[in-house]
Amino acid sequence: MTEGDEAAASTGTAPRVYKPEMPRGWWLRRRHYFLYMVREFTAVPMAAWLLWLLVEIQRAANGPKGYYPAASPAFIVFSIICLGFATYHSVTFLSLAGVIIHLRFMGKPVPPRAIVATMFGLWLVASVVIAAVLIGFAR
Amino acid sequence: MNHDTTKSQKPAISHLFWWFLFANGGGLAALVLPVQILVQGVLGPLGVVHVVDRHYDTWINVLGNPIVKLYLLALISLAFFHFAHRLRYFLVDLGVPAARTLPAQVIFYGGAVVVTAVTIWVLLTTAPISFA
Repeated sequence: MTEGDEAAASTGTAPRVYKPEMPRGWWLRRRHYFLYMVREFTAVPMAAWLLWLLVEIQRAANGPKGYYPAASPAFIVFSIICLGFATYHSVTFLSLAGVIIHLRFMGKPVPPRAIVATMFGLWLVASVVIAAVLIGFAR
Repeated sequence: MNHDTTKSQKPAISHLFWWFLFANGGGLAALVLPVQILVQGVLGPLGVVHVVDRHYDTWINVLGNPIVKLYLLALISLAFFHFAHRLRYFLVDLGVPAARTLPAQVIFYGGAVVVTAVTIWVLLTTAPISFA
């Protein structure tokens, strides 16, 4: 920035702000943009499924006679759709750990690939534990 | 520009707070949600495996466990703070600048607070806490 520019910027009453305008449907133009928006959208089906879980928990308040778990084909289809989005969230979120987390071990930086591999290992362990509880305490 | 550096030196505590909830909600959901949907939403209803929520007695037994209650509260509450943040910026990306405003923040993060309160109420009123 030259002196003249700085002077011009400071004399104006309000700073000129650059407002980028995105055309409608910008995210449909490239596969990469589209996948980014899919990642952001995963929140909607995951929220819907967790709200259903809350309903299923609340239904237990109806007592042994009034309780019935969801089992309709529509519910299973809904769950399969949510499962797809939730898995996409997991893959993208856990992969990002390699970019976000910076660790040093024995004085050397841990390579991002090792961090991502650890995250996916944690995902596997957590999945086994949750499945063991959900299935192990059933009859 | 000097006036910009003095502004950026102020610690963004509120930003840190929301970011903490966002990151942990996203991380916890990433680790446990797929398996939970697979087992409770697909395999259980299909009858492939026996799952705790298929019968009242096993479901209420698991729900009474304080560790399970804490787990469900952490999962649902943190995930909704994550969802609130993501959806707000999803709307911004779609061309809804109003999603940046304070009222939008109150609605989205307030929604997560409401879900948290409802979850606490459901977890405390549905099954009595038992260590059995």
